[in-house]
Amino acid sequence: MKKMLPESELARDERFVRTKIEDRIFDPRGPKMAQRNTGPAKMGVDRPAAGERSRSLMHGIFVGEIQALEGAGRTCYDFDDETAPFQLKLDMARQCWDETRHCEISVKLGDHMGTEIGEYTESTFLFAAACNPDPVFRLCGVNRALEGLAIDVFSSMKDFGNESGDPVLEFCEDWMLADEVTHVKMGSDWLRRLTETDPDRRERALEFQRTVDAIFNLGGFRGEDDENPIQLARDFRRLAGFTEDENDSLAALARESMEQAREMAEMATAALDASAQGS
Amino acid sequence: MSRITVAPDPFTLVPYDVDSIKALLEEAAALAGVASTVDISLTVDEELFAPLTGHMSDVVDGRISLWISGGNFEDNKRPTYFSADQARIDLAVMMLRAGDRLSDDFAAAPPDAQLPRGERVAWDTYAVGRAAKLGVDVRRPRQLYDFRLQHGFTDVADAAFDRCWESAHMTWEGIREIAKETGAADRDPSKVPVDLLRQK
Repeated sequence: MKKMLPESELARDERFVRTKIEDRIFDPRGPKMAQRNTGPAKMGVDRPAAGERSRSLMHGIFVGEIQALEGAGRTCYDFDDETAPFQLKLDMARQCWDETRHCEISVKLGDHMGTEIGEYTESTFLFAAACNPDPVFRLCGVNRALEGLAIDVFSSMKDFGNESGDPVLEFCEDWMLADEVTHVKMGSDWLRRLTETDPDRRERALEFQRTVDAIFNLGGFRGEDDENPIQLARDFRRLAGFTEDENDSLAALARESMEQAREMAEMATAALDASAQGS
Repeated sequence: MSRITVAPDPFTLVPYDVDSIKALLEEAAALAGVASTVDISLTVDEELFAPLTGHMSDVVDGRISLWISGGNFEDNKRPTYFSADQARIDLAVMMLRAGDRLSDDFAAAPPDAQLPRGERVAWDTYAVGRAAKLGVDVRRPRQLYDFRLQHGFTDVADAAFDRCWESAHMTWEGIREIAKETGAADRDPSKVPVDLLRQK
């Protein structure tokens, strides 16, 4: 079996359609929308298109779970026992089981919300973070950055389930959230153990984590304001072993990403207007 | 013959075709039994993309005035591209609701921009249920979830949903009764205007 599988070779059946992040970035509607007030992006039953937003996000969670399963599975297989200790692989194997269960739960939640598998496109940049050839970088990119994001996503969805009085959503998200806390802890523990004598490698791995975090903060997806669909879940992050400094710097990074997105939208709008006047 | 207008004409941000939309709208009007003498205008907000979806059906001076987010017509599997299948569903529902507004049964209903969320989704359910009976390829679980979000995840709400879905004839008063029965009518009003997406 092939080692270090690129994201382009992930196996999917005909229901799944892949999209590229560039498609969204270069969508001409983006700059126009950035200038409009479409209300708080935080999930809520009184927000416009609440049902469609939650269905779309749920499908995103579902494909994310598939990729998390694939990432943890690859980490079990891609490295020899010297590069990645057997105990680490056991943890990854346990994570595979968790992610498999999350996939099943997500499919059921999709049914509950009226969504079909493959109804929305799939972006595979989550798996891309799991392609790093250094297992420590993978743990930082996947277990700390992406599983950390999963804590925020599940916590936001759980709150939405609570607010809408949906016991199925609230219960399922709560259970998955508990697993994600464990996954982050595993990442933090192995980061510490594998880099005990190599502070430089640790710092580079943490830098990789910050890069992945920045990608997923893109355009204010995550943050602490009503403008962010996904809320930073500080308490659960603390339980998972993130320090208050780490949470603060992630919040600052989120605000920075949002500001950058705003500036980019303004520049794009100006460029579009100038081009329209010229034509 | 009615006059059907679609705006914008042409589309500049997404490759939607005005003539195709007009044809689908004509088809939906016939399906909903709207008299061919009624003028229909449809405004598509092409800046909006999925999942920022929504639509409104009003009647002004005997003319049907429709508004829809461009996201409703968007192919979920090919962002920015038009999905005729998706458009067929939404236009049928919009025209069924517009047809209701032309009747005395819904004469007292406020315009869509002022409709409370509970009443709106109950009315939508009544329309989507009829569309299903007319052979439109709608999805019941999807509508049920939207209904539950506003009326609650309870047996009472599910029974009310069944009534809206199965009903061959409802009135605005009937819709209001359902919202009272499930408690949706007693909920706090939206923190944001229900027509926020329509506001530029």
